Amino acid sequence: MVRFENVGMRYGLGPEVLRDISFSLEPGAFHLLTGPSGAGKTSLLKLIYLAERPSRGMISMFGRDTGTMPREELPPLRRRIGVVFQDFRLLDHLTVLENVALPRRVMGQTEAQYHADVEELLAWVGLGNRLNAKPPTLSGGEKQRVAIARAVVAKPELLLADEPTGNVDPDIGGRIMRLFIELNRLGTSMLIATHDQRIIERLPATRVLKLSEGRLATTNEPLQPEAMRA
Amino acid sequence: MNGINTASGLMPPDSASGTTLHTIVAVMSFLACLTLGAVLTLSRLASEWTEGLSGSVTVQLLPSPQIGGDDQLSDALRITRAWPGIFAARALSRDEAMGLLEPWLGEGNVLADLPVPQLIEVTLTPGRQVNLQGLSKSLNENVPGAHLDDHQRWNRELASFAASSEAVGWAVLLLITLATLAIVIFATQAGLQAHREIVEVVHMIGARDVFIAGEFQRHFMWLGLRGGLMGLGLATATLIAISLMWNSRDAPVGAQYLPQFVSAPQHYIWLLLVPAITGLIAMFTARMTVLRVLGRMP
Repeated sequence: MVRFENVGMRYGLGPEVLRDISFSLEPGAFHLLTGPSGAGKTSLLKLIYLAERPSRGMISMFGRDTGTMPREELPPLRRRIGVVFQDFRLLDHLTVLENVALPRRVMGQTEAQYHADVEELLAWVGLGNRLNAKPPTLSGGEKQRVAIARAVVAKPELLLADEPTGNVDPDIGGRIMRLFIELNRLGTSMLIATHDQRIIERLPATRVLKLSEGRLATTNEPLQPEAMRA
Repeated sequence: MNGINTASGLMPPDSASGTTLHTIVAVMSFLACLTLGAVLTLSRLASEWTEGLSGSVTVQLLPSPQIGGDDQLSDALRITRAWPGIFAARALSRDEAMGLLEPWLGEGNVLADLPVPQLIEVTLTPGRQVNLQGLSKSLNENVPGAHLDDHQRWNRELASFAASSEAVGWAVLLLITLATLAIVIFATQAGLQAHREIVEVVHMIGARDVFIAGEFQRHFMWLGLRGGLMGLGLATATLIAISLMWNSRDAPVGAQYLPQFVSAPQHYIWLLLVPAITGLIAMFTARMTVLRVLGRMP
């Protein structure tokens, strides 16, 4: 699904924030991306959701080398990936319903085609009564769930989430992770970036990518909660 | 559907940057409309003056010892009316001749003592070439004291004045258009900068560049159009107010000699072009700017 080979990345003329990254994400699997703050997790996610280009190495997405793809072929690729941004990045002037419907709108669907799906999804994430609310009036947990609903509304093959429990209390964090597990059971591949040890321990058997100072310390190894604890 | 519109525009309807652009476009459109109104008025005056003067000539009859006043007038009228291409010839009464002098000499007894020549107003047949030189020669030979004035000197001077004024008006309009262009471009770019977050988010969720550019250009086209219409409304009200003021009984002395601003309906159609142009400028600027911003993203 996603394959990195000796990928390096730097911002402008700065130092490399990612070095010699090689790994692959398997279809239907639940992956974790861990590491301390500043290790490069967000930068790695940006490379996957095509917000940045690598300075070296090769990235293959859904069987295609993104480095050789023309720019106009990238949007269809992005639509196969759902992203839950660390800071949510909801559009404050749009309602919850309009925010969640956005990916379906950019795909060219009409309101009649997506309205029922969006309502159903929002009910599923517990926001069925906040359809018309604007993001500034929502709590952190509600914003997080809107961001998740927007990320999955177009049924992406891969869902990326950057510190999805970073801004919410442990109870809501647990609910969000259960939501991810449910989505994974429905067939969506997951890559969750977190440094929250409690979340890591509560997740089912999965694969983990551990970043440290821009390098991947562990790749594609089944997650062993005990080992992680050590 | 619970009354919720999920297909509203991506842009905030009443953002601060939108209000700024609105105001700027309205002010620049107001200035552009006033200038265009002035240019159209000058252009109309130029053609009216030229047509008015070229459509008529005057025969002056100065007193002559060789012929009596009545004979002089009847001979001149006969020759003139018989000349090919002459539509009408009419002798002006003494009162009418006095009336022509009043704006320069004022009313009063001074006019009564002046030897005002007899005048014949000659109207030419529209669209027909008239041999005025031949008419002048015939009058000189057959009617002592008769002199044909074809207004050529006035005509040339007025046409030159009108053309110069019109050229200055067009130059001012060009400058205002360029300033409007620059300001609308600048304000649109500033507005887009404020909404960069929207561009990035929509881009990241898989929108194509043309979709994003379409959303922004539609939003900014309406902003430009609404601002332009506001400017047009203000300018129209101003032009009408000026016209009413000049035509009113309380108008200052001499105002009746000033031209009517934008009196023809087709002039208002020209003015309608101003908001259309501001809307198009804002639209194309938004499109170009968004595509340039997106072009820098992967």
